[in-house]
Amino acid sequence: MAAEGMTTRTSRTFVAGLWHENPVLRLLLGMCPTLAVTAAVKPALTMGLSVIFVLVCSNVAVSLMRHLLKPHLRILMFTLTIATFVTIADLYLKAFLPEMSERLGPYIPLIIVNCVIICRAETCASKNGLWISLVDAVGMGLGFTLTLCVLAAIRELLGTGMIFEKPILPVAGPQGGWFVPWTAMILPVGAFITLGLLLGGVNLITRRTKG
Amino acid sequence: MGKVRFFLRESWLLIVASGAFGLLLAVTNAAWQDRIEANRRHKFESRAAALVPQAETFVEMDPIRVELGGGKTDTVQVRKAVREPDQTCVGWAFAAKGSGFADKIELVLAVDAAFETLRGFAVLSSNETPGFGDKIKNAYFQDQFKGAPAAVLTLVKTGEPTQIDDQIVAITGATVSSEAVVHIINAYVGAVRDAMQDKGWINDGR
Amino acid sequence: METLQVLVLGFLSIVIVNNLVFTKFLGICPYLGVSGRIDMAFGMGCAVTFVVTLAGTLTWMIDHWVLRVLGLEVMMYVCFILVIAGAVQLVEMYVRKFFPALYESFGIFLPLITTNCAILGLCLFLNLWDTRRLIEAVVLSFGAGVGFTMAICIMAGIRETLQLADVPACLRGAPITLITAGLLSLAFMGFAGMIR
Repeated sequence: MAAEGMTTRTSRTFVAGLWHENPVLRLLLGMCPTLAVTAAVKPALTMGLSVIFVLVCSNVAVSLMRHLLKPHLRILMFTLTIATFVTIADLYLKAFLPEMSERLGPYIPLIIVNCVIICRAETCASKNGLWISLVDAVGMGLGFTLTLCVLAAIRELLGTGMIFEKPILPVAGPQGGWFVPWTAMILPVGAFITLGLLLGGVNLITRRTKG
Repeated sequence: MGKVRFFLRESWLLIVASGAFGLLLAVTNAAWQDRIEANRRHKFESRAAALVPQAETFVEMDPIRVELGGGKTDTVQVRKAVREPDQTCVGWAFAAKGSGFADKIELVLAVDAAFETLRGFAVLSSNETPGFGDKIKNAYFQDQFKGAPAAVLTLVKTGEPTQIDDQIVAITGATVSSEAVVHIINAYVGAVRDAMQDKGWINDGR
Repeated sequence: METLQVLVLGFLSIVIVNNLVFTKFLGICPYLGVSGRIDMAFGMGCAVTFVVTLAGTLTWMIDHWVLRVLGLEVMMYVCFILVIAGAVQLVEMYVRKFFPALYESFGIFLPLITTNCAILGLCLFLNLWDTRRLIEAVVLSFGAGVGFTMAICIMAGIRETLQLADVPACLRGAPITLITAGLLSLAFMGFAGMIR
């Protein structure tokens, strides 16, 4: 009985992070990295995986500490925890994936102020047990990563004709081909407009399914 | 004493956590710092080696301070390209940076042993517009610098790119990025040569 | 004289050419949230300018005079965010004491400036651009704040007029604001390459 309730709660928490409470598309959190790293799928995926790592570590750490937190110092504790794990992620990327680290530049340390992580620590991890915090972190992280990858796929495909650096559309050039890349998609313009249209699309779907 | 006790009781978790996290960071840093340093060095040297193929090792010289004009200065780490076993100098390589169209551009510049001709440049990092400014990484642009004189270069819109001289033909649709590269090279080549002559690493003109 | 030229060009470059919002995607969350009315936008911009100048200067000093000297660069991010949190706390206390009406009107937004990517982002960019002198750091931080204020006021002006337009239901709110920001960033691209 208790096990069943646990499973439904787990799956509900997990799915929430993917769609109903998708951090980028619904909660409108974490916009800055979404716009900055989605010029191509590779950096978007790297950013998404880094965010999953930091989210999981910080949610677990906060959940373990939750009974010891003093109310007025808790934001400071969250910030300290998140900053530590982001530094570790940054060091890892610098050591093992230097080109990605170069490309993502200052946006990895900017995960510290990514509202997604602090919000989850505040609303979920500080109030729930270890398992639920973990599931919530994985769900939110996956939702974030998937959104980033979808956005990046659109921008990279229309902007260069490739996805994950593999050619998909034949680019017009000396070997023939018909696709003239929309370079604007890789520039800030493309980022803002694609995200805006994507949000509009999500709103449309929500309206249709509700009403 | 009461105040100190109150302070400690309220913030003991913060202090303990700070200590624990600090330790975690120190351990991680110590474990991976060598790799990070090796990555940084490899990035420079692989580019420089492509420009100076006869070089077998790069020897780091003392950092020199250069005046780039317009009030800017930089500390440059020049590397001598040497060939074993007698350590003959086959060229010099150093990093140069400046602002491009979108963001900073960082280049590796290589010159011959006498600092008379350029061996070429390679892009260390840039954020130029893909498909336009990004073409500074292409052979069309880079080949024009291989063998060019180590003097002031001028950027021209039309010309003969296969003719190697002090005129560089700009990339169509990427004038600002092309201009940025030429400007960086002009600023650094003269300044680094003067500084190296001061240090006695190369001879003054004949 | 040359220093002044470098400073002025640096200031102009960060306000117009490398505007933090339109080219570096920093500060988008408050940008979307607060740009509804021009007076609120301007107030937010001023608060951010003050905090970012203070934070940029303090973090530059700590980075150059403490962390690099002691070889503790690995603590950079932790130190930076703690300094920023502290600076925001100071500003909050100052505003609450001397401008209580302003404090009321800001509400939750003042403590939220801590999570504004623009502030930590600028501190990190100062580090990335290898800013050598303190005066350069101060001028660039102030310029970043001014650029943000300018961007948010332009957006507020557009949004006030947009309220009279017939925006499709699914695009109201954040989507149309983002699309507008995209068009603005396209316009600002025209400044690129202006300053070497």
